[in-house]
Amino acid sequence: MHWLALWWPPEPPEPQAPAMPAPEALGWWALRFTPHVAWLDEALLLEVAACERLWGGRQALMRQMAAENPAPVPVRRVQGATSLVALARLRLYAAGQRPPQQLPAALPLWTLTAARPHLDVLARMGCHTWGQAAALPRGGLARRFGPGLREALDIAWGLRPERHAWLTLPETFSQRIELPALATRAPELLWAAQRLLAGLRLWLQARQRGVLAFALEWTLDLKRLNGVDLPRRQQLVVRTAEPTQDMAHLRRLLAERLALTQLAAPTGWLRLHVLETAPWAGAARSFLPEDNRPGEPLHQLVEKLSARLGPQRVLRARPQADHRPERMQAWVPAVQAPPAAAPAQEGPGTGLLPAWLLREPVALELREGHPQFHGPLRRLAGPQRLEGDGWWEEGEPARRDYYVAESPGAGLVWVYCERASAGMPGQAPRWFLQGLYA
Amino acid sequence: MPALPSSSPFPQALAACADLWRGDELGAADGPARPTGHAALDAQLPGGGWPVGALTELLQPAPDAPLWPLLLPALAAAVAEREAPVVLVGPPHEPFGPALAGAGLPVQALLWVRAGTAAERLWACEQALRCAGVAAVLAWLPQARAAELRRLQLAAARHAALLFVLRPEADREGASPARLRLRVAPSEGRPDQLDVQVLKRRGPPMAAPLALPARSAHMAALLAAASRRRQVAAPGTASAEGGATVLRLDPRRPRRASFQEAGHALAGAVVAA
Repeated sequence: MHWLALWWPPEPPEPQAPAMPAPEALGWWALRFTPHVAWLDEALLLEVAACERLWGGRQALMRQMAAENPAPVPVRRVQGATSLVALARLRLYAAGQRPPQQLPAALPLWTLTAARPHLDVLARMGCHTWGQAAALPRGGLARRFGPGLREALDIAWGLRPERHAWLTLPETFSQRIELPALATRAPELLWAAQRLLAGLRLWLQARQRGVLAFALEWTLDLKRLNGVDLPRRQQLVVRTAEPTQDMAHLRRLLAERLALTQLAAPTGWLRLHVLETAPWAGAARSFLPEDNRPGEPLHQLVEKLSARLGPQRVLRARPQADHRPERMQAWVPAVQAPPAAAPAQEGPGTGLLPAWLLREPVALELREGHPQFHGPLRRLAGPQRLEGDGWWEEGEPARRDYYVAESPGAGLVWVYCERASAGMPGQAPRWFLQGLYA
Repeated sequence: MPALPSSSPFPQALAACADLWRGDELGAADGPARPTGHAALDAQLPGGGWPVGALTELLQPAPDAPLWPLLLPALAAAVAEREAPVVLVGPPHEPFGPALAGAGLPVQALLWVRAGTAAERLWACEQALRCAGVAAVLAWLPQARAAELRRLQLAAARHAALLFVLRPEADREGASPARLRLRVAPSEGRPDQLDVQVLKRRGPPMAAPLALPARSAHMAALLAAASRRRQVAAPGTASAEGGATVLRLDPRRPRRASFQEAGHALAGAVVAA
């Protein structure tokens, strides 16, 4: 048996430092080294006798732990023959004292958790080290101080098997933390949410999965506000198109969403739970330098733009089979529509279409029967007649004659004349501008 | 000390140096360049095309002035090669997909960002430049200041995308961090031509603007045929309705075909005229 004790000093007060994951999440990180991980008081204890050869020996394992440390503060690492010895040495190290030569007999009693309530009595009895306490008669010690101290000393000498609540990796991620102060505005939740995201990353790495959707939920502190019943909790769901372990992207999405969110009441508790994950495949990279472009993938750009500007303002076109120009393409939010293979629109007629389309055709003013747009229009080509009976189509039937015309002020334009329908024969033709050749 | 040769003010060794750029000849591009698709324009640009990973500023008389014939060949080639979209930030109107698809730029390769304010446009533009999966960025930034353009220039330099910034012609006199600046406007008196004048480049100033076709080949042929037909018909009496090709849409046929049919009818008119 060989034990490592890990301890992270309290966080530095810098606001810019990355967030410290929750203790539970640090345990998940340690599970990648050995299956025997347990929290004992303030330290994380790892039993490594069986696994250290896999990591290339004790020293290599310790270096690996320092290199992969998930917290923003350096991790203190101490070894020992039993968990209590490792913990005692860690406490000496944290207090700035050198460990004694004889282990465990010469260790001071204050480093033993079970002896802490009885330190004064033991000191008056002349007991200052583990060895002196262990030399006392067993029966008397157990009667005077309870069975705990004697048991701890036996465990420290390896005379009794150790019992620990071993950490396991949960099936789903759901973590809850209390905010340091009541938050009244949504962006204040971001700092605490970063801690949860740091934990989520460790969980995803341990499970070898990428997250697709998660929900951030906060418990409202008030039941009624201004005479209105409030819900128990509010939540925000964040989704991404590709499974990811990149918390920077999720953090950015969350920040954009939180900036637009209103808290119904102050909140003190925050919970993050994962809704959807997918197996983590990693990234396929090429050996050719021109294939490895720096920068983020496209779906992250689309999600980032949509989160800040709104999904209705980041659009992708979807070609549609229709003869009316305003229905030949539909613009759909890019976050909802992955680019799909669509019918090719390269026909012989497409070379004659304008590059800019006016979705709402502009009614043109008529002067002496001639349509005007930045001056009188001169018809150059046309008409191209569009006519449908309309009963099988959605929307208004189109009965239009399209012309390519030249405007003195705006160059080539695409206009149409709406022909009078059969129901209203006497109506004068109306002219509309629908496209600009640019 | 040996006298320098009188013909050249520089010693021979200096003239042979590859990094030396003489003011009277076209400089070399810093990075790769993508051919514009117009040979006459390629000959005028350093590196022989649009600079990749650098800001190109295009000055226009109006935001919706003719532009696509100039850019489409390079954009279509970039999209086909990288299989990545073109991001349009704040275009003046809705881009018409079938027309752009006819010129080789597929509709699916367009990402339309309808950013309203100047700050949103700049932000969206910068984010798009940071993305590895973007072939080109076209941004209409009428209010951008030189410092903001400089920021875009630095963002573009880190990633290999084409960046075109469309600005009003009124900013012609202002300073710009762009390495390449062009003025694009329809020709005076020749509506079928596009005047392209290089305002700033690594090379000598351009004496006369370059004339490029302002219309697609199809459109030019159609207009030529229509004008010839008008001349053949008795002037004054010809009615525009006379040559109309009436096309009844048949509900039993797929609707997609009907529009192409209309295109055929027009193309047929071109041939017949």
